[in-house]
Amino acid sequence: MTALLSYQTALLLRSHRWLPPLLLYAAFMFIGVRTGQPILDSFGYAAAALVPVTAWLVRVCVTNEPEAARDCAAAAAGPWRVHLSAVLTGLLASTVVGVAATAVVAAISEPRSSDHQVDVPVGEATAAGLVAVLTCVLLGTAVGALCNRPLLRSTAWAVPATVLAAFLVLFAEGSPAEAAVTGMVTGSLDGTVNMGVLPLAAAAVSAAVAVGVACAVSGRRG
Amino acid sequence: MRLRGVGRRYGLGGPWILRDVDLDVPAGALLRVEGANGSGKSTLLRLLAGVDAPGAGSITGRPRTAYVPERFPPALPFTALEYLTGLGRVHGLGRAAARSAAREWLDRFGIGEHTRTRLSELSKGTSQKVAVAQGLLSNPELLVLDEAWTGLDPASRTVLDDAVTARVAAGATVVFVDHDTRRLAGAPDAVFRVAQGRVSPVAGTGRTEPRVRVEAEGPSGAELPAGLPEGTVREPAAAPGAVRLTVAAASSDALLRALLTARPPWHIRAVTTVAPEGERSR
Repeated sequence: MTALLSYQTALLLRSHRWLPPLLLYAAFMFIGVRTGQPILDSFGYAAAALVPVTAWLVRVCVTNEPEAARDCAAAAAGPWRVHLSAVLTGLLASTVVGVAATAVVAAISEPRSSDHQVDVPVGEATAAGLVAVLTCVLLGTAVGALCNRPLLRSTAWAVPATVLAAFLVLFAEGSPAEAAVTGMVTGSLDGTVNMGVLPLAAAAVSAAVAVGVACAVSGRRG
Repeated sequence: MRLRGVGRRYGLGGPWILRDVDLDVPAGALLRVEGANGSGKSTLLRLLAGVDAPGAGSITGRPRTAYVPERFPPALPFTALEYLTGLGRVHGLGRAAARSAAREWLDRFGIGEHTRTRLSELSKGTSQKVAVAQGLLSNPELLVLDEAWTGLDPASRTVLDDAVTARVAAGATVVFVDHDTRRLAGAPDAVFRVAQGRVSPVAGTGRTEPRVRVEAEGPSGAELPAGLPEGTVREPAAAPGAVRLTVAAASSDALLRALLTARPPWHIRAVTTVAPEGERSR
């Protein structure tokens, strides 16, 4: 698995296909996060924007390899391992982006509530922000895994499905990503830090199931 | 490895490309698969390689496997050496071992100068050599070749012929499809035909063609001359410095000509016919 992960990571970095999703995220952040804004609001925003970006990065990773090259690796390691390594590469890349964004938000935001009246502890807020970011990365991974190869193979289906599903998990009531983001934003109103552990656990389970389904199908549907 | 009741179709309601395939894939065997275009040869090979999972039935006892596809795309952002090193590691080699095996196979295929060339800049034939090297560098226990010879130059075809023979001699199984019916003629232990979704052994195959074995001795330290007929199987002979070459009877004249007209010429110690073997027990 280490060999596959380093191979997939090299493939992602060398292909430069990580650039468009990263630029999209940078644009999101540039528009929505400013110096001196309330810290919890900015964490909520930074986390929410990661859902579509992660889904896109996972799509990049699972479609990055030409079919014949994927077949060579699949014969050596098994199709499901090859697919798992691709999805994990997308997940890890998004986590790196998310952690960097968390650091930036922690550094430039004002540690106060939305109305700037109540102080917010920076350390605690950053930990909660990281939990929200991971929740969104995991759900984005689930979306990317379910809406692309091998389950949806044609670009005409995969891209609209990925976009739609990303926004659905972000705004639908009861989705862990929605819960995580709402927890940050509502907490910001009165300056309370909501540690969204339950949404994180739910997101982890969803991602594991989604990735498991995608990997199980990977040898059957090319 | 055993295939029992294996079937494969594309799409949920699609027609079965293959069905009810029962096949034993013994160790140390060379198996040829033949069939018309679109008959399902490649599908069978993908199942054998483990690239595709069967839609019905089961495949058990898979050994360490490598697969060489028919067309290898150069659209990867790696140099030949980087790609082969990475794949060598995926095949289970350590980093250093993968790197030296990659170099060795690039040299054997005469493309050692391309180690630092990006795959996207390689010619079609050269990238096919990279694909073949990928299949060979980890000494797999099962090697599946889907028209791997196509696009290779004659020297590289010989390298691949020899590598296949060496893998089988080392106890590995090699399964291949090639449009050239003379490919490794006489060497396969069994031939299977794919037609109408079924796989059946071809009656009377398995080393049935008459073959000729030539024992020759070259000037000390000399390499075998170039231009030996395709599919020549070479092994060291009992006598020191001698080599034993086996070809289809139809190619024996060409083999002798190549040996005798080499500069300096090779000495022919013996020429014998090899009786066709029907069923070979293993």
